[in-house]
Formats: sequence, structure tokens, C-alpha cells
Amino acid sequence: MKIWTAAVGVSVVLACCGCAAHAVQPWDRDLLAKQQMRFVPLRMEYAVDQHIYFSKEGSIGGHDVAGGGCGCN
Amino acid sequence: MQLDPAPRPPSVLSRLRTAACVLLAVGVPAIAGADETSPRYQLDASTLLYREAGRVTVVEPVARITRLFDGGGSLGAEFTLDVMTGASPTGGRPAGGIQTITTPSGNTQTVSAGDVPMNPFRDERGAVDVDWVQPIGARAGAATGAHFSLETDYQSIGVSEKLSLETMQRLLTLTVGGAYNRDDVFPVGGTPVGLTSNGERTGVDRNAKEVTSLMAGVSRVLSRRWLVGINASRSNERGYLTEPYKVVSVVDPATQEPLIHLTELRPSTRQRTDLLASSVYHLSRDILYLSYRYYWDDWGLRSHTVDLKYRFELGTTFLQPHVRAYSQTAADFYTLSLVNGAPLPAYASSDQRLAHFNSLTGGLTYGFRLPGHAGEFTMRAEYIGQFDHLNVNPEVGDGEEEEEGGTPVTHAFSPLSIGTLTISYSRSF
Repeated sequence: MKIWTAAVGVSVVLACCGCAAHAVQPWDRDLLAKQQMRFVPLRMEYAVDQHIYFSKEGSIGGHDVAGGGCGCN
Repeated sequence: MQLDPAPRPPSVLSRLRTAACVLLAVGVPAIAGADETSPRYQLDASTLLYREAGRVTVVEPVARITRLFDGGGSLGAEFTLDVMTGASPTGGRPAGGIQTITTPSGNTQTVSAGDVPMNPFRDERGAVDVDWVQPIGARAGAATGAHFSLETDYQSIGVSEKLSLETMQRLLTLTVGGAYNRDDVFPVGGTPVGLTSNGERTGVDRNAKEVTSLMAGVSRVLSRRWLVGINASRSNERGYLTEPYKVVSVVDPATQEPLIHLTELRPSTRQRTDLLASSVYHLSRDILYLSYRYYWDDWGLRSHTVDLKYRFELGTTFLQPHVRAYSQTAADFYTLSLVNGAPLPAYASSDQRLAHFNSLTGGLTYGFRLPGHAGEFTMRAEYIGQFDHLNVNPEVGDGEEEEEGGTPVTHAFSPLSIGTLTISYSRSF
């Protein structure tokens, strides 16, 4: 529960930090608009990684909601 | 998973073709409503070559076609084929002498003294994924997905939905999503009764497994160069969560020699939660990606994952080193073995994936374009190594123990050593 509280707290901080700062204007979004500025810039490699780690580790979770399962042994 | 030399199943590919047609039909209305004057597509293809020392070899080609619509919508379909051969540890312990074990398909197998019992297998897995992204007004969007995959003894059907909303002059993006998966496990040779050794079967051929997932995330533009985000997700699994081919050795308390191997048994529910914090920072030319994930579940497994990538922009090419560190604790019911004569626990598994372990990934991606060609190629080589197999943590349940006199006994399995090569191609037209 403490972790959830911390997560909500960090989210609120994220939402508020820089509130007083100037917004990033449309003409300043040249860098942010690049495909490589996404959290997952190489989608195919990301999917491969998720599958490999799912089949070898006890954990799941990432940038997407859980996808399809497999009987990976 | 197919266990040699069981007979080949009916064609997986033909069933996948049918599933692909059904899933693609979902997107027909979207295509019909598109602006036909500006057709635009994106093609992505990749092939994974995976080699795990002494165990499994996988070849996985993936092809994806995406129809891009005016206004930001898209409809994509992805087709995956896995071809897997090799062997997987059964979970049983090595013995001082020759062991004769019975594989799940009913065949006997001889295991040499000191060798880890392995299940040889050969299998193919096909998967079809369809996703539809639809903007809602200027600041919101929805992503709808459907999934179907099939292998010899496992089928997965799922749907997912994700909604996002940009606020604060597009500085803040809120995302919520959910997914539902209905899987079926139909083990070769029938479903074994847990914690038995006499080949007893439950009589149920298809075992259901349901997974319901929810996620929420927030991402924030901190500056012209910096994007950060936090995602939280929780999934509830219910149904048949046991690995039907894994076993747990029962050992002699005096000699530690395995006497028999029991089929493993896991709880029928699992609640999994993870928090992921991510950052993407654009330096003057290069880009730094950093993320940290904390995961925990009600099986007692916890993990930490740190992932770091640095993209060197080199004009029309790029070079991207990758380092990932992963550490997990063991599940509560993980054990190297059970002791003969002691009462059986409610659940027990010796599956290495539920053991305590640490691993490191190192890799390098090279992206380039060919002169006069619009598409982009990427080639990536990675190595995943388990680096804690010589450490000893004598805590009960960590899958490690200490011999009399303090001499450590480490994991019963050889450490993970995995090499992968991924070649990808992407092109819009």
C-alpha cells in the first residue's frame, strides 16, 4: 500500500512540476516529435524482448497492458 | 510444447489462418471509413534467432502491416511464428547414478549421473495480433487490440483497450487500459495430478486460465528534450497456473539423492503488480533511455529491473548499446527438492523461473538505411547471462542450501546463457 501511495504521490508531482514554467510550445516540439523520443521507439525489438523475458523470468509488466500468453517452457 | 516423439498435431497454421481472417474482419469498418485519397502503409518485419546454451533454439519471424489513416488513426495486423527445438530442465535434481525418468508423453529417458534431467521438445507457435488506434477529438485516443495464439498444448485469446488523454497544453498524458485473456492449457499426455509420481491424470484435457489486467500511466513533458512517465499495472490470474511438465524431486534426507520425481503444483490464483518509471532524454544529438521497474506478486516473488539504452545518432545511421540488470527473489513455494518422509506442502515447484536469480543483458543495435532505399534496417545482437549462480544464500525457500560443514550447494541448474540476433526492417509507403 505504501508503494501505491508513493506512486500516486510521484504522479501528482509529475503533473504539477513545471506548472509555473512555460509550456513547450508547438514550435519547440521538434525533438519530442521524433519517433525515437517515444518510450518504445523500436516496437519490433520491444515485442521480442518482452517475449524472451516472459519466458525466462517470474515477472511481467512494461509499457503496455499484458498481452497474449504462451506456454513457454 | 510438443514432447518428442509424440505425434504431430493437426495443422496449427491452418487454424491460425482462420483466426487471422476473423480478427482482420474486425477492422473492415475502419478501412471502409478511411480517406481513400491518401492511402499509407507501414511494413515492419523482423526475425529473431535465439540460442540458449544447452537448451533451446528458437527462430521467430514476425511480420506486421499497418494501415495509417488521416488524422492519426491506424489499423495494424501482426503475424508471428515461433519454431522451437531443444530441451528444458524438468526441475528434477541430478543424481549420483543413472536415472530413468518417464517423460510426460509416456516415454522413458535415461539421465546420466550428475546430469540435470531435461525434457526434449519441438514445437511451433503461431500468433495473430490486430490493433486499431482511433483518435477521439484532438487530445484523446483509443487503442483496441485483439490477440490469438496457438501451439501444440496452449491456446491464448485476448482483447485489450487503452485510452489516453493529453492535458495541460499537451504536457501531460494520462493513460488507462485493461486487457482480458482466456487461455487454455492442454498438456500432451493429459493433465497430471499435482504432487504425484505415478502418472495419475486429472481426466481434464483442457484447463482454463483467465488473466485480467488493468494499467494506469502518466507521462510528462518536462522540457523540450525530456519526457518522463510512470506506469502501474496489476493482473489477476485464475485457473490452471501449474507447468504440467515440471517436476520436484523427493530426496533422501541422508544422501540428498533423488528418489522419485513428483509433478509440481502451484496455486490457482496469482495477483501480479508492477510499477515502471521511464525517462527519455534528448541530448544535443544522442538520446538516453532509462527505466526502472519494481514487480511483486502474491506468490512472494519480487523483482527489480533497470534498463539503460544510449542511442548514438550518426547521421543516417545509429548505434545503440543496451544494458539491463534484473534481480528476482524466489516464490514462496519454490524449492530445490522435497525431503522423503516429510509431509507434502500444499504447493511446490522447482521451476527455475520461480527461483532466486540475477541476470545481466548486454546488447548493441545498429540501424542503417541503404542508399536509394526508403526503408530502415536494424540489426541487434544481445547476450543474457545469469551471474549469481556462484553466490550462496542459505535462506530456506531461496532455492539454495548449505551442505553440512558449510560447503555451498548452488542452483541445481546450469546458469542461463542466452545469445540472440534480431534483424528488423521498417518501411512506410
